[in-house]
Amino acid sequence: MPNVSVIIATRNRPDLLPKAINSARRAGRDVEIIVVDDASSDETVAVCKSIADIKYVRVDRNQQVAGARNIGLVASSGDYITFLDDDDLRLPGSLDEQIEALERTPDAAFVYGQAIPETENGERGEPFPMLCPQGDIFWPLLARNFIPCGSVVVRRSALIAIGLLDDAIPGIDDWDLWVRVTEIFPTAAVQYPVIVWRQSFPDSVQGSSNTVDVIAKASRHFRRAFTKLPRFAAASRVQQRRAWQEFSKHVAEHLAWNIFSELRQGGFSRAFRSARTLWLLHPIGLWFVCRRWMNLRTVKALIRSAATQRDLADAKTNFKKLRSNLDEDEDRSLQKSF
Amino acid sequence: MSKISVIIPTHNRPHLLPRAVESARAAGSDVEIIVVDDASIDETADVCRGLEGIKYVRLERNQGVAGARNVGIFVSTGEYVAFLDDDDLRLPGSLDRQAALLDANPDAGFVCGAMIMADQNYQPTAELIQPKRAGGDVFWELLELAFPVMPLCTLIRKECFLRIGLLNRHICSIDDWDIFTRIAELYPVVVMPEPVGLYRQPTPDSGQGSSARAAQLLRVARHQRNLFRLPRVVAATKVERRAARKRMVNRISENLIWTAAAKHLPSFKVKAAIANVLVALRLDPISIVRPGAYEKLAKNLILRTGLIER
Repeated sequence: MPNVSVIIATRNRPDLLPKAINSARRAGRDVEIIVVDDASSDETVAVCKSIADIKYVRVDRNQQVAGARNIGLVASSGDYITFLDDDDLRLPGSLDEQIEALERTPDAAFVYGQAIPETENGERGEPFPMLCPQGDIFWPLLARNFIPCGSVVVRRSALIAIGLLDDAIPGIDDWDLWVRVTEIFPTAAVQYPVIVWRQSFPDSVQGSSNTVDVIAKASRHFRRAFTKLPRFAAASRVQQRRAWQEFSKHVAEHLAWNIFSELRQGGFSRAFRSARTLWLLHPIGLWFVCRRWMNLRTVKALIRSAATQRDLADAKTNFKKLRSNLDEDEDRSLQKSF
Repeated sequence: MSKISVIIPTHNRPHLLPRAVESARAAGSDVEIIVVDDASIDETADVCRGLEGIKYVRLERNQGVAGARNVGIFVSTGEYVAFLDDDDLRLPGSLDRQAALLDANPDAGFVCGAMIMADQNYQPTAELIQPKRAGGDVFWELLELAFPVMPLCTLIRKECFLRIGLLNRHICSIDDWDIFTRIAELYPVVVMPEPVGLYRQPTPDSGQGSSARAAQLLRVARHQRNLFRLPRVVAATKVERRAARKRMVNRISENLIWTAAAKHLPSFKVKAAIANVLVALRLDPISIVRPGAYEKLAKNLILRTGLIER
């Protein structure tokens, strides 16, 4: 019985898939690679047939990513499971290291790590997330999904206890799964990069309008599903309100950033859509954002990044770095006040 | 590794479960029994620990029947999968017979048998529900609801789930119809006339049960639109699609009006009767004047009064 099953859901990307498979093979000693071909209509079949030592599962009716991952779970046999996207890469030896970390903490349901974003031309950015909190991360995870899906190695038993992925919420199915797991189990983390995230910039326009949809879906899911989780329902009103505030603040910031970048690209209708979503989700969200951005350091950094920037992406990473600094400051001040 | 996996989802019914488990054990020679405890809050866990030779899986959060069945599929190792509810029974040797049929028909997706209706105390009634169609390609019949398939009567090839996906967790109580239709789209179906299971009917006087039926049929009618996205339906002509939709809607509304008039009204369940008629009107406004429902009703009344012999 193999130790770890790597489930790669793929659809019409035969050019990227072999790289992902090779990276997974080099990431651990005892790896079972399961390629779930989600009804691809191109030469994916032929490409997969030519690769030895993989378990190829052909799905004939398109199931979306979550459905395909569930099928991969049924076909898998490892004690540990990890999901890898077909355009991402596992770093060599990372699976073995993560399993070791997981075995050191027997209570933990899964172990995650950092991801390195990589652009099409091979430029690598700062690893995400900057800090990987461990232990009970239920409340921080409710505020935002900071877990790169591909970096997680999860125990089979944990998935059995909380059920499979929810295939009705494409885009946030992984966040939903991690929230459900962390509601019951503690987690472990390694503080170094374990995967490489490929970001495809050509369709970033489509990507940002997707962001709006995903955010709308996430906030709906938060109100409908997460508030009904037993642990959330049992928490104090203060805690509940704080969790929602953290989440909506984060979302508002994201949307505000979206508006900003759309305006710079001249996409007025898309910017309007973001603004509308922001207004519908969180009417006073702009106030939160303004209050945070009006911080002198933020404004300075924004001006600096805008003056020297080659790319919007740079400004965004700068901003993210700053935000995480601010978060830390806030945490520290909170700790002081207690 | 066993050949057949029997998946028994259960929720707070420790008094019924052991009987279902024993019946599954007697139903086949090489059977793996998986009890999926869907976050029960009573002594189900203790009862299961007392049962030998089962695989007990405990879900910490309630997933619903479909979610629990999916977890059962996830942990199963068999080549064939059977679903059994915790209050139903499998007949002795039935799984082996169905597995032999699947062995003999390597193309088939699932095999469907007959079932015996029983009352609350597992006493069989005279009613035997047999598959209404011969086997083969039954996709359109399933889609139009002309071929009711109960999970209790079926044995499914596990490979099907890998090709068409798992059960849909978001369509309460019609997930079985959905999955069988999706399987039948790609696979032929084998039918056997002998009974394979004993179905324990829900309490006859629970009024909730009967108005739930109307809501369920409404969900079926709505979900059919989603199933119309399956490639075989998309490839069909518009006329065929419309005819299939119409036949199904007629069938549902006739059934609803007929149950309202013949079963609910005589026992003074006015609420359920009204719910039925409302759903029927919603689906098909002219169903109330269509003769189909009344034909059946008139026949039944004549039979009851004894004017003609059965």
